[in-house]
Amino acid sequence: MPDYKAPLRDIKFLMDEVLDSETHYQNIGAEDASPDMVEAIVAEGAKFCEEVLAPINQSGDQEGCTWSEDGVKTPAGFKEAYQQFVEGGWPAMNAPVEHGGQGLPESINIVLSELIGTANWSWGMYPGLSHGARATIEEHGTPEQQKTYLTKLVSGEWTGTMCLTEPQCGSDLGILTTKAEPNADGSYNITGTKIFISAGEHDMVDNIVHIVLARLPGAPEGTKGISLFIVPKHLPDAEGNAGERNTVTCGSIEHKMGIHGNATCVMNFDAAKGWLIGPENKGLNCMFTFMNVARIGTSIQGLAAAEGSFQGALAYAKERQAMRSLTGPKNPEGKADPIIVHPDVRRMLLTQKAISEGSRAMIYHAAQVADVVQHGEGDAQKAADDLLGFMTPILKAFCTEAGYEAANHGMQVFGGHGFIQEWGMEQIVRDTRIALMYEGTTGIQALDLLGRKVLMTQGASLRNFTKIVHKFCQENEGNEQLKPFVGTLNTLNKEWGDITMKVGMTAMQNRDEVGAASVDFLMYSGYVCLAYYWALMAKVAQEKLAAGTTEEGFYTSKVQTAKFYFDRILPRTAAHAAMIANGGESIMAVEEENFAF
Amino acid sequence: MADYKAPLQDIRFVMNEVFEAEQLWGSLAGTKDAVDMETADAILEEAGKITATLLAPLSREADEEGCHFDNGKVTVPNGFVEAYQTFAEGGWSGLTGNPIYEGMGMPKMLGAQYEEMLYSADISFGLYVCLTSGAALAIDAHASEELKQKYLPKMYSGEWTGAMDLTEPHSGTDLGMIRTKAEPNADGSYSVTGTKIFITGGENNLTDNIIHLVLAKLPDAPAGSKGISLFLVPRNSVDENGVVGENNNVSCGSIEHKMGIKASATCVMNFDGAKGWLVGEVNKGLAAMFTMMNYERLSVGIQGFAAAERSYQNAREYALDRIQGRSANGPVSAEKQADPIIVHADVRRMLLTMKAYTEGSRAFSTYVARYLDIAKFSDDAEQIKAAEAMVALLTPIAKAYMTDRALDSCIAGQQVFGGHGFIREWGQEQLVRDTRITQIYEGTNGIQAMDLMGRKIVGNGGKLFEMFAKEVSDFIESESENAALSGMLQQLAAALSRLSDATEAVIAASQNDADAVGAAAVEYLDLFGLTAYGYMWAKMVKVAAPKAEQDIFYANKVKTAKFFFSRLLPKTVSLLECIKSGSADMMELEAENF
Repeated sequence: MPDYKAPLRDIKFLMDEVLDSETHYQNIGAEDASPDMVEAIVAEGAKFCEEVLAPINQSGDQEGCTWSEDGVKTPAGFKEAYQQFVEGGWPAMNAPVEHGGQGLPESINIVLSELIGTANWSWGMYPGLSHGARATIEEHGTPEQQKTYLTKLVSGEWTGTMCLTEPQCGSDLGILTTKAEPNADGSYNITGTKIFISAGEHDMVDNIVHIVLARLPGAPEGTKGISLFIVPKHLPDAEGNAGERNTVTCGSIEHKMGIHGNATCVMNFDAAKGWLIGPENKGLNCMFTFMNVARIGTSIQGLAAAEGSFQGALAYAKERQAMRSLTGPKNPEGKADPIIVHPDVRRMLLTQKAISEGSRAMIYHAAQVADVVQHGEGDAQKAADDLLGFMTPILKAFCTEAGYEAANHGMQVFGGHGFIQEWGMEQIVRDTRIALMYEGTTGIQALDLLGRKVLMTQGASLRNFTKIVHKFCQENEGNEQLKPFVGTLNTLNKEWGDITMKVGMTAMQNRDEVGAASVDFLMYSGYVCLAYYWALMAKVAQEKLAAGTTEEGFYTSKVQTAKFYFDRILPRTAAHAAMIANGGESIMAVEEENFAF
Repeated sequence: MADYKAPLQDIRFVMNEVFEAEQLWGSLAGTKDAVDMETADAILEEAGKITATLLAPLSREADEEGCHFDNGKVTVPNGFVEAYQTFAEGGWSGLTGNPIYEGMGMPKMLGAQYEEMLYSADISFGLYVCLTSGAALAIDAHASEELKQKYLPKMYSGEWTGAMDLTEPHSGTDLGMIRTKAEPNADGSYSVTGTKIFITGGENNLTDNIIHLVLAKLPDAPAGSKGISLFLVPRNSVDENGVVGENNNVSCGSIEHKMGIKASATCVMNFDGAKGWLVGEVNKGLAAMFTMMNYERLSVGIQGFAAAERSYQNAREYALDRIQGRSANGPVSAEKQADPIIVHADVRRMLLTMKAYTEGSRAFSTYVARYLDIAKFSDDAEQIKAAEAMVALLTPIAKAYMTDRALDSCIAGQQVFGGHGFIREWGQEQLVRDTRITQIYEGTNGIQAMDLMGRKIVGNGGKLFEMFAKEVSDFIESESENAALSGMLQQLAAALSRLSDATEAVIAASQNDADAVGAAAVEYLDLFGLTAYGYMWAKMVKVAAPKAEQDIFYANKVKTAKFFFSRLLPKTVSLLECIKSGSADMMELEAENF
């Protein structure tokens, strides 16, 4: 297993030098979050992740979770690590002060999520999944519900889940069948089966708060008849502690490809007692209020995979010796050169680096935008919300697709050893694969981006981002050093709009054109977004170099990686553009029954 | 998991109609009296039957169970021993073996189809059988008459299995560094000592002997890859009557815990003064291995698309069955709560991507196998030389491009299942795990790309490329009046011209930049593969289009070809752009600044 080292220098580069967090936090009234304070928090979090979480990542994968009728046992060390996490006050960091939180902005929590996720994704999902439950109660709960549940969720004393999926319904929540029948006391009896409930049952805390999607009697069909309910594993007693056991049980856990350390549960609700949260039949709308932030959370899995796998591959590539450099021996005293001398190994490493650092820039920027959504006001808040709405499906789908690619490169650098479990590289690939599916598959995200966001707003959603790029290109038009970046970026930024127009036109004739173009459009968008962030990073790095610095290597590598990205990865946009332009006819032409003989 | 069904119709289409097996075999000296179409077809039919009914149902459980290691003994998963017996009795290990030593002497074009079905049913199991055939191939090509007489009949009959022992802990890609040594004995044999790792099927309980082909160095051998010799080392000694005796100081130290192919034992093998016999010439071990390498590499390519075929069959069934959401153009199954997901454009895109790559791979592997047959069975020196050149050129593409696209396909097949694709019982994630190794072993795909770009393209100034380009150009020209192919030929010509540009650019750059080859290699192989598949699809359309109106199978071929040209081939544009950007982007960054 590769040792994990939190990329503190890169985090600082983004927070301080590229994204100017100091000004940002002042603007949203979070003056407490000074650069020094942020650095201290991140350093402390890094220590916990490196020393506590990373060492139980591989053992957690090998041991997995164990199910019995009494519940689910998490792998050795998971529970203790969670206790330390709670004692450190980490769950409360980004929660409102009135519920016992520290009131720090979400963007700092996102940094921490990256560190946790890279060190041990399976573990991170236990506290991570509480977010949805917490956000639901925070935004839609009654004061009493907030009092009962929020403090304990914020402290980490209890964890939470979101129970959406059922055996027959995943992407299409409109067909869910779990029902909620009203009781005389204002509560409801919830009955149904939910599947794929991450952290639905475990042994880390004494209560788990489920937010369950269900239908009231007589509710309209489809997505307009779904309501949200709070269903705790244990009913809170008079003192607010976990009391009587509710009739919600874990029927089994799934045997999966990866994230073995996280329990993926079948949850049976057998007239379990629950309480309505938010208005009747508006359950989906209520969820959408925090979906954007939840999806940033999943996008981090792509970043974490790229970073973790890169760290492992880089160390191996410097150490493993095979063959000689084609330009002559670089390690003449050894029998062979370290494989990092070979261009193709470098290609894989640089692809990982470009994806990892590029995704980090995009995610951290999105996190700032999310801060403004949460703490801003008026036009600024509205603008941030629109921008985040556009970025979310790209973050979720593109960063995980790219992160998965990066994880596979890392494994490939190890040759045959990459396939062997003890090296830990294949675990990253297995763990990351789920990121492309849960929280809305890549295909669903792509439909959201192109259908709901971009075309539904006649392109206005896209312009939220293209105007940022346009401004950057204009400002740097005369910058000689940035010329190779700005020219290409400007061209692509325009092409992006043109492609959108064309798809919009064809989609008016045939709705299938949206689905036929969507994933290519999303990937195209992701590559252009990353191009913008790489150009931005290159600009900052070049300024530092010009001003003179003791960290020449660091800044030079930024410029060089940007160049690699533009030359060797960004050209993929040309293929996506061509595929989109070729339309969906060939996709729809084959009859269903003729897909095989 | 859907029941596996051997795609015999497509196999016959490719082998008989597109590549005209009957005409070919009838024209080659070595096959014209040995192979008749009826037998060949019966073999396909039987292979389809036993792989689907006997083997495919074992695959899922075998992955869960894996291999067991206990004090040097390896036990394969439940059901494998019995299944192996059936395969051995059917003579499948000797399907393409030399008839002089009791092989069946079938051509590779047929063997490739059988291998596909075998690997679709289970890659892990298939490895035990195919590695035996591979080892037998090397023995047949290079060993002494005595060794051949002694070992080949029992390997062809499946009574013994075979293994290839190359890799050592510190030397995988770079075999020049191996340390295993072979010391001559007075009786002409050698004592082989050393440790080999990643030995697939190195130890198992399928048979009572395992024949290892081991790379080792003689005491006075030159350093590097020019000092490697090949030895036949049986696990158990074999007396002059062919009776298996004592253990020959060959032992399995442990088996690896892997991401996939868990039912295949990946062994650490210890040779402790084991008695072996030289195969081929002293210090020419690598060359001897290379004869079988072309076959093995094609075989690994076949593993890839075979798994993709299985994944496709599962995904297609799921997409027809699973209902979720409504078609963008209004309900299709109005009576149900939702439409089957196959109505959604993006699900179709994934399925068609799988279909286009898998059927393209089947055609491509048959195309390569056809050249292997010509090289092996022709008696015309010119024809043999040309076929060998094409095999040399196409082999790295067959290995790397087929497995790369296979992984893409298996990932797409998993994605069609949504969250269920991550769950083991559905089988889709196993196919991804099992396929992942095919990009790594038998020379990583990066190594294949270097072989293509360096040795096969730049190494001879593009001569081999020109041979291929001429074949494709001739095809384009000869079909220029064919209306069914009109748009496709233009796109194929454009792809070929991009490949030609890339070839020229890299050859030119390599004159004064030693890193140019390595920097371009992987993308060049991709570009070559896509162009070659474009050629395959055009060839398939040529045959299918005239019959499209009578038979939906052929109409479907044309539709899938259209998808390939419109939604997959455009990647050539991006690849050329990347290749042209040169090596500086990869080489400038200092190692310590990564």
